[in-house]
Amino acid sequence: MTLRTEGARRARRGTDRRPRFALAVTVAFFALLYLPIGVVVLFSFNSQKSLTVFKDFSSRWYEAFFRDQLLLDSLGMSLQVSLVATAGSLVLGVALALGLVRSRDRLGSLAGLIMLIPLITPEIVTGVAAMLLFKGMGVPLSTGTVMLAEITFSISYVTVILRSRIAALNPEVEEAAMDLGATRWQALRLVTLPALLPSILASAVLIFALVFDDFVLAYFTTGVDPQPLSVRIYSAIRFGVQPTINAVGTLMLFGSIALIALALFIPRLFGRRGGIDLLSGK
Amino acid sequence: MAPQNVSRPAPHSDPPHPDPQHTDPPHSAPPAADPQRNDPRPAGTQRPSPVAGRRLWAWLMLPGILWMAAFLVGSLVLVAMLAFGTTDPLGNPRFGFNPENIAALAEPAYRSVLLRSLGYALLTCLICLLVAYPVAYAIALHGGRFKTLLIAAIVVPFFANYLVRMYGWSVVLSDDGPLLRALRAVGLADDGTRILQTGGGVVAGLVYGFVVFMIIPLYAALERMDVSLIEAGRDLYGGPLRTFFHVTLPATRQGAAAGCVLVFLPAMGDFVSAQLLGGPDQIMIGNLIQDKFFQGQNWPLGSALTMLMMAVLFLGMLGYLRRARKDEAGAVR
Repeated sequence: MTLRTEGARRARRGTDRRPRFALAVTVAFFALLYLPIGVVVLFSFNSQKSLTVFKDFSSRWYEAFFRDQLLLDSLGMSLQVSLVATAGSLVLGVALALGLVRSRDRLGSLAGLIMLIPLITPEIVTGVAAMLLFKGMGVPLSTGTVMLAEITFSISYVTVILRSRIAALNPEVEEAAMDLGATRWQALRLVTLPALLPSILASAVLIFALVFDDFVLAYFTTGVDPQPLSVRIYSAIRFGVQPTINAVGTLMLFGSIALIALALFIPRLFGRRGGIDLLSGK
Repeated sequence: MAPQNVSRPAPHSDPPHPDPQHTDPPHSAPPAADPQRNDPRPAGTQRPSPVAGRRLWAWLMLPGILWMAAFLVGSLVLVAMLAFGTTDPLGNPRFGFNPENIAALAEPAYRSVLLRSLGYALLTCLICLLVAYPVAYAIALHGGRFKTLLIAAIVVPFFANYLVRMYGWSVVLSDDGPLLRALRAVGLADDGTRILQTGGGVVAGLVYGFVVFMIIPLYAALERMDVSLIEAGRDLYGGPLRTFFHVTLPATRQGAAAGCVLVFLPAMGDFVSAQLLGGPDQIMIGNLIQDKFFQGQNWPLGSALTMLMMAVLFLGMLGYLRRARKDEAGAVR
């Protein structure tokens, strides 16, 4: 009797009662979230071609990948594109983010609006638009056009990630530097940028991972040969079972996870907070 | 020799209260040339004028703005223009003024694809809401010290390659894949039940692809929510469901709305899900656009379809913004 009233009272207190329904959905959700990934990883080690019956462990699909010159060329191209796009978008994006936060004029608010376009536009639209732009200018689609398109897309990410970081900086430190004789440019270069370095490095890693994994923009802006790895994967999986893709996918998966871990770890390396919040900075 | 500003505290220690003298720009400073350069006098008396500072920010922004204007805004304008263009006999796009493509959008075939895309995208939003609410709720309110870890466990797969995830998902949903086998084992499906090559398969793909965008804003909203409100609801003898619908849901409405926008936008433009998980009669507007640009070589029509999709999304965004503004006004009241 007393037990029941005790239980009822605790139930009424609300949040410490376990919501069984929500917990059940969460468990099912996590199972379904990881099942596809688990299938890809598991069957990348399958000795058979089947995607439903696992026979025994073998590394034959990894060997097949490292013997496939087309896929290796694509891997090289994707790495190249990611590097160039990361560097290019960081140079343009960091400068832009600084200006966006610090300047109070109309140019800044206009730029702020433009930065939002890629975030509220489906990627297929920016992809189609970039393809049309290059074709309209008579530029043949190639590795270079993929780089240009990926830079454009990544600038938005850089500014979104870095804006809040810059806004959180204390501008008085910069002004103190100027009181001590630094020009505004020197204060920026010697005080502000070093303070931003952890965030910049972390977003660089993140941008690299995003560009490397990007499919839609790359698909619309790539030429015939070589094609980015994700585009190659797309054409492969459209035509039935391709166990090699499981091996490539597994490698890409662990590569991405390593990069995200790195991006989260970098700020700690510098012994201070101020990295990327996975929740707010997409 | 001793300028008045030197008495300020060292730059490392942040002054607890703002120093008015220090934030005020020196009005008397000549806005002309940069006074700091080649100035042998001890610095600090004159700071670079605010005008010069603003010019630096403008110069910093300029390359990025020009880049985005050319490659983003310019290219989008081209799409809008080509929607009124034509194709020459060789198949090359020609700009002009030709309302044909716009008129073609009214054709029943395109209308049905647009309606299907809208339906799939809306259904995706709804299912994402139904899945994301319990998950975000369980993690935000009952995650304890594992909260961050659990959210990271949701976000990390999202960073895995989209195609590889979709490919794995198509294996899971396939006719002899693990999901249907499990459902058959418990009697929830029979031998004829299929998920691939159906509309359900497409929506399942869209949900799998974009449900993260729903969970994150909902989680943030639930985290921010005042938990004592739920306790108050319980104290007033509201059942779990009533408390949810009268307390939790209204308090996190904005997070849900933001999540719906974040899911709806990419779901509407996606063409991978319909291609990998649906049949030819489940194509969405993204597949149509892709087809016009790659197979059909009818770029003007593809541009017109792109603009149609943007128009639909723009209307949706407009509705969302109006609701959000009304919400804000209501909160201020």
